[in-house]
Amino acid sequence: MDNKEKNAEHTAEHEHISSYREHFGTWAALILLTLMTVFISTFGADLRTLTVATAMLIATVKALAVALYFMHLKYEPKIYRAWLIVVMVLFAFFLVMVILDYITR
Amino acid sequence: MEHFVLPNSGHNFDAKSSKMGMWLFLYTELLLFGGLFLVYMLYRYANQDAFLLASFELNVWMGTINTIVLLTSSMTIAMSITALQKGNNKLAINLAWFTILAALVFLVIKYFEWGAKFDHGYFPGMDHYNELPHGERLYFYLYFFMTGLHGLHVIVGGIFIAIVIKRIKSGHVNKNRISLLENSGLYWHLVDLIWIYLFPLFYLIH
Amino acid sequence: MTEATLPQPNFFQAKKGIASWIFTLDHKRIGLLYLFSIGTFFVVAAGLGVLMRLELLNPGRDLMDPQTYNQVFTLHGVIMIFLLIIPSIPAVFGNFALPLLLGTDDVAFPKLNLLSWWLYVIGAFFALGTLVYGEGSADTGWTFYAPYSVKTGTNVTPTVLAAFILGFSSILTGLNFIVTIHRLRTPGMGFNQMPLFVWSLYATAWIQLLATPIIGITLLMIVAERVFGIGLFDPSIGGDPILYQHLFWIYSHPAVYIMALPAMGIVSEIIPTFAQRTIFGYKAIAYSSMAIAFVGYFVWGHHMFTSGMSGPAGFIFSILTFFVAIPTAIKVFNWVATLYKGSINIQVPLLFVLAFIFNFMIGGFTGLVLGSLAADVHVHDTYFVVGHFHYVMFGGAVFAFFGALHYWFPKIWGKMYHKATANVAFVLLFVGFNVTYFPMLILGLQGMPRRYYDYLPEFHRLNMVSTFGSWIMVSGLIIMIVNLFVSWKNGAKAPDNPWNGITLEWQTSSPPPLHNFDKMPELPEGGPYNYPNAKSYQE
Repeated sequence: MDNKEKNAEHTAEHEHISSYREHFGTWAALILLTLMTVFISTFGADLRTLTVATAMLIATVKALAVALYFMHLKYEPKIYRAWLIVVMVLFAFFLVMVILDYITR
Repeated sequence: MEHFVLPNSGHNFDAKSSKMGMWLFLYTELLLFGGLFLVYMLYRYANQDAFLLASFELNVWMGTINTIVLLTSSMTIAMSITALQKGNNKLAINLAWFTILAALVFLVIKYFEWGAKFDHGYFPGMDHYNELPHGERLYFYLYFFMTGLHGLHVIVGGIFIAIVIKRIKSGHVNKNRISLLENSGLYWHLVDLIWIYLFPLFYLIH
Repeated sequence: MTEATLPQPNFFQAKKGIASWIFTLDHKRIGLLYLFSIGTFFVVAAGLGVLMRLELLNPGRDLMDPQTYNQVFTLHGVIMIFLLIIPSIPAVFGNFALPLLLGTDDVAFPKLNLLSWWLYVIGAFFALGTLVYGEGSADTGWTFYAPYSVKTGTNVTPTVLAAFILGFSSILTGLNFIVTIHRLRTPGMGFNQMPLFVWSLYATAWIQLLATPIIGITLLMIVAERVFGIGLFDPSIGGDPILYQHLFWIYSHPAVYIMALPAMGIVSEIIPTFAQRTIFGYKAIAYSSMAIAFVGYFVWGHHMFTSGMSGPAGFIFSILTFFVAIPTAIKVFNWVATLYKGSINIQVPLLFVLAFIFNFMIGGFTGLVLGSLAADVHVHDTYFVVGHFHYVMFGGAVFAFFGALHYWFPKIWGKMYHKATANVAFVLLFVGFNVTYFPMLILGLQGMPRRYYDYLPEFHRLNMVSTFGSWIMVSGLIIMIVNLFVSWKNGAKAPDNPWNGITLEWQTSSPPPLHNFDKMPELPEGGPYNYPNAKSYQE
């Protein structure tokens, strides 16, 4: 049991610890983006496709903030980011092909 | 009788394996909800006016408050991990409790939102629902399905964090063994991520 | 600790009693639990297949009415796909052999592994339970197409829930294997020193992980639609039935690679052993597994060419479908190149593998016919499709499973199977299989539709041939299964390494001890199949 504990301590010492400050900063950015997106939607012009695109863009920035900072993805081994990109690429392909089929029918 | 133990034994607890397992599980959750988002995108494309009209039934302010509540809870669980890593168990537990509290607030607001819809007969199968035009019916079907499935995940996430709090108190989860707290945090962030997309898609169509 | 300690009892002897099996955390026992459950359901589904062939022996009604026939082929498909082929090789041989091949003592998450098996059994009960109440088992085909699947009175909901639960089992197995392969390899074994079966399990695990959730959510949508009476695929509220097909096939096409990749991994494992030389083009085979897994996500529309899907979409899917054939062909070339001028040891595992190559090629070529948009319009929903998928799934994946069964039989049970009987069984299986399914390719081209309980008189002769073939095949199956049981009881004691294999599982006893290895396993120098005395490919 001794070896395991020593191992765990050793690992723990070398792990990056996100500061409270970083988390607070991420939160502040997220709240700002949220208020922004509500504002654009409530008071912005009726821009149809552009509205969706803008909303999705802001949502994606928020999602990236959550993933990279709250979920620590920025400090994890590269492969986790690579895998997430693969997942997103697959989803994007599914979405594009289904909609492409629909609009060309 | 002592048996030979391999250096790469699968029976040792391994923090990296634990984290990897959780991330892999999260990918499956992303794709699970992804399927619903895909259906939503298609039907919204095909019924843009109806979706816009139907969305007026939703209360943007309640949605915004819920968004802020979830984002804040994401911060607190992330900070809870920081606290535990620094050895401050008490703070870690308090921050985790705050996260659960936020989850409860979210669910209460959701309860009122859904309740209002039920009262007006908007749930699939109810009278008012049946009278709606096609596009609006698709909207409400997806609204209840997606926010319902999301709510289920909020409940599961809350229970997960409660279990972790218990484990911190018992010392099983500590500065040198943060995996369970970390993983509960990852799950909670997923819940937050899904809502980040649900919110504009259902509440902010205009 | 580098010296050997006292040898442990083997994993059968380590603990006794039913509870020690049902609550086991030992990957080897879990593999065998799967073997017996999967084996049982395979026999049930094969029986249903025999019944179908009996019904099709002659035109008109032979045994059953049309409604029953629909239920029989649906259950046959549901069991074969969800309860047999998708889990089979990963759940049985992945579980048994993966840790051994990696030189470790278990998977990364043993408890999750046990949960996967329990979920499998629960899913099986849901699926088979549909037979005994109400309007009986589903009659929709295993594809559950909307709108029929949401309107029919048969027990669709439990069947669909069964598939959902089984999907969860599959996801957890995939998750477990990915982490195991990343984290538990023996020191010195990089990704490019792993056996090829491990590569195939890795590629498969990524498909299990990422594709299954899509069908999970789709099946939940079907359940919701049945429960609430209106739903997302209901045209009367503007829903789109073709959307169901998209969602269904987005999983179900990658699912066929869940079925095929581990089988190809088995082939890559058996060939070097029975040619006694290293595999030709290790990296090509390894990376082609990943390529098949990846490209397999982009081709699902080829199941929908005649569904009402748009022309441009069909065109794109058809082109992409051709790409997936390329890595498969690379594997076949490399396998054959390995055999050429190798020191061939004709044994039953190799026979099944050679049969795999033959059958899979026919299945693959007929797949290209189906993948060509224009040709598919002629053969979609005919017996050509039925012939095609039985060639790849049965003649391919299941034959590879049989090969693995014989290959690792000595390692698992510590006994040798009776060789002459196994050879007889193989011949009956191979001949019977081809006599059963080749006529279907012809029948399909001639226009006989699938999922029909009756057919025109001009199709009678070939249907009879096919049914006779099924009897030959079934006798081979029975002989094989009985032989394996009898050999388990009475077979000659097996040595640690009956085939002179060079991968790590052959360095431990037959059967292995509970913790797999009594001493540190030694990696072969230069690669997982590097036989020191083999002729090099450069000569």
